[in-house]
Amino acid sequence: MPKGAPSPDPVREVRLWDPFLRGFHWALAFFVTASWCLGQFGPAKMTLHFWCGYVVIGLLLFRLVWGFVGPAPARFSHFLRGPGAVAGYLRGLMLREPSYWPGHNPLGALSVIAMLAVLAAQVSSGLISDPDDYINVGPLASYVSSSTRSKAVGWHEFGANIILILVLLHVAVILFYRFWKREDLVRPMLNGRKQVRDR
Amino acid sequence: MRLLSAAALAFTVTLPMTTHADEALDELLEARHGFYQMLAMNMGTLAGMAKGETPYDEATASRAAANIEALTHYDLPSLFVEGTASGQIKDSAAKPEIWTNMDDFKTKFGGLVEAAAGASEAVKGGQDKVGPVVGKLGGACKACHDVYREKS
Repeated sequence: MPKGAPSPDPVREVRLWDPFLRGFHWALAFFVTASWCLGQFGPAKMTLHFWCGYVVIGLLLFRLVWGFVGPAPARFSHFLRGPGAVAGYLRGLMLREPSYWPGHNPLGALSVIAMLAVLAAQVSSGLISDPDDYINVGPLASYVSSSTRSKAVGWHEFGANIILILVLLHVAVILFYRFWKREDLVRPMLNGRKQVRDR
Repeated sequence: MRLLSAAALAFTVTLPMTTHADEALDELLEARHGFYQMLAMNMGTLAGMAKGETPYDEATASRAAANIEALTHYDLPSLFVEGTASGQIKDSAAKPEIWTNMDDFKTKFGGLVEAAAGASEAVKGGQDKVGPVVGKLGGACKACHDVYREKS
């Protein structure tokens, strides 16, 4: 609870994240982790990795649609803000108090977009990859030139590193909110309920 | 003037030499690519049958597998001579790491030799026999490509 001077609006608990969005989030977390690990440590024949990738494509398409027709907190128009809003949010970032933000905050929104964009690029490069081993080939590899098929393998490997960095950043920031700002962001993604302050 | 003529002399002496050395490396690279090209053609035949894209034909499958076996009896690592890594010579996809881990590179090639052993017999007897052979060979391709092949 903020103490002292002006506390404009009271903090209240709302249903923030709808069940579909939460389902999307945890399914994406699971299938991205699974694909990543299968790609890195899995069997030479990457059938399971491929299927995980197809599920991720489905999930990304869902999120794209949900970003236009879903409930307000899920909509891109609701959480995508300009640089001014991001700078404003950054000013209060280090305060040792919860953000009580009702949704993706302006800075977190950038992270959301970055993760979705990188994943979209990653599934695209995967679909057209041909590592020339005769057991794994992206289903759309035959539609691009042989040099593109081969380069795509390199992009896919590079993308995997970017995804690792973004996911670690995501987890690190959640820990930062939990222990520095004393705000639990995991529970709202589990039960949908979050303490927010209107603004 | 003396310097100039010395430089001219050095130039005329070294120019044909470097060209000669470059030619030798170019030929080596050509041979290497030819090796992989032959490997690829025969792998393509087997992979096509394994996936059912081309009809299974025992004689064709066995011949392709025998070709691969024969190719693996060639000492491929001997074609990986210093100076033929990617960045050192045009069109090379061989990562420089090959030369810093030559023993491991040879082990990886040994994996292909092992996967190919007996393949010409193993693919006989039906379309379902081809898949496991392609799987083994492809696994050996991948194991080496993952580490030593430039993705470009």
